[in-house]
Amino acid sequence: MIKVDHVTKVYKSSVVALDDVEVEINKGEFVFLVGPSGSGKSTFIRLLLKEEEPTRGAIYVAGKNIGNLSTWKVPYLRRNIGCVFQDFKLLAERTVFQNVAFALEVIGKAKQVIDQRVPEILDLVGLGDKLNNFPDELSGGEQQRVSIARAFVNRPLILLADEPTGNLDPSTSVDIMKLLDRINRIGTTVLMATHDNAIVDAMRRRVIELEAGKVIRDQARGVYGYGT
Amino acid sequence: MARRFDYFLRETVSGLRRNGLVTFAAVSTVFISLFLGGGALLINRQANLMLEFTTNKVEVAVYLEDGISLDQQNRIQGILNRLPEVASVDYESKEEAYGRFKVLFANQPDLVLNVSADALPASFRVKLADPEKFESVRAVLQGEPGIEKISDQRELLRQFFAIANVFKFGVGAVAIIMLVSASGLIANTVRMALFARRKEIGIMKLVGATNWFIRVPFLIEGMVQGLIGAGAAVVGLFVIKLGFVDPLRNQIGFVPILRNADMMFAVPILLGVGVLVAGVASLIAMRRFLDV
Repeated sequence: MIKVDHVTKVYKSSVVALDDVEVEINKGEFVFLVGPSGSGKSTFIRLLLKEEEPTRGAIYVAGKNIGNLSTWKVPYLRRNIGCVFQDFKLLAERTVFQNVAFALEVIGKAKQVIDQRVPEILDLVGLGDKLNNFPDELSGGEQQRVSIARAFVNRPLILLADEPTGNLDPSTSVDIMKLLDRINRIGTTVLMATHDNAIVDAMRRRVIELEAGKVIRDQARGVYGYGT
Repeated sequence: MARRFDYFLRETVSGLRRNGLVTFAAVSTVFISLFLGGGALLINRQANLMLEFTTNKVEVAVYLEDGISLDQQNRIQGILNRLPEVASVDYESKEEAYGRFKVLFANQPDLVLNVSADALPASFRVKLADPEKFESVRAVLQGEPGIEKISDQRELLRQFFAIANVFKFGVGAVAIIMLVSASGLIANTVRMALFARRKEIGIMKLVGATNWFIRVPFLIEGMVQGLIGAGAAVVGLFVIKLGFVDPLRNQIGFVPILRNADMMFAVPILLGVGVLVAGVASLIAMRRFLDV
């Protein structure tokens, strides 16, 4: 599903963010990307979204080399990749329903499709009764659920989550992880960058650890730190 | 498609309302610029109307001496007909000249009464293929017996045209400068709109909205500003015409004055320029400030 082939990313300031990284993620996997701040996790995610270009190496998403993708096709790549962030990125002046509908509206989906799919997905994330609430009326965990619903409403092949539990307390984080796990079981490939060790240890999924831009560990049923 | 249209409409209206004052500045600059530009076009039109009327598109008048013989007259006509610069030649008798004189000075009856047909010279009215070729025609006819005077009709209107040109080019130049600042202001409102909605734009990019989908509302927003300004300029020009130009019609009856139909040609030009300039300004603003 995702293949990162000897990718190096050097920023203009000659900071090496990723150094000859080679990773392959299969369809349906759930992968944690761990490592300290500045280890290259965010760069990794930005490269997958083609927000940046690798300095060397190639990246394949769903079998296609995204380096060869022309600019006007990038939006279509992103329709296959859902994104969830630490800060939720919800629009404060829109209701929960409108926030999720926005993702479908701007890719030109018909109103009937939106009216059908949005309540469905909000039901899936457990917010079926909060369609008309505004984000600031929701708890942090609920806001993150809205953002997951928005990322998932278009049924992407891949879900990228960049520190999705970074702003949440531990028990809320567990709920979010349950939700991501559920989405993964439907068949979506999930890649989650985090430094929440409790979560990584509890889930026992594949762990890829970055340090100073290099992959220093790739373990099938790993924990946050070294050891089994 | 209907849903898309609905979306664009909503975004455009909310964008224009959000930046009320800046939008007003942009629209009013477009208005002033196109009002002046339209004014220049209409001055030009009026000048041409007067030229056509006064000279009846005749560039050269060859006035004949009263005692000219028929042979001499035919000889001159022959020369004129053979010249490649000449498009057509018409003979105007003393009576015909008097008829035209009466029309020209219809509002000065004393003058008409004191002049008889005999006092006016007969002439050949010559239309040139190229109006600039007056000198070469004169050179050929110079010295032919029976000619009293060869006059460049456009010379008569030279002063009028000099003044009209000063107005036309002066006003036109100001209009162009204003148009440049108008596009700067429109670009600025588009930039502000982009800034106000940067979070939405970020999300749109993330969920895979195409660049054009993201840009269209801002483009429409810019073009609507241009259109409103241009529309106001058209209305303004008609108001000026009704209020100030039409009353002149009763005072100077012998000169043709711009009619509404003569102004219509300027309407699509003004609206088109307004929308086009605003659209280009918006696109440039987006290229510079929208990182997609």
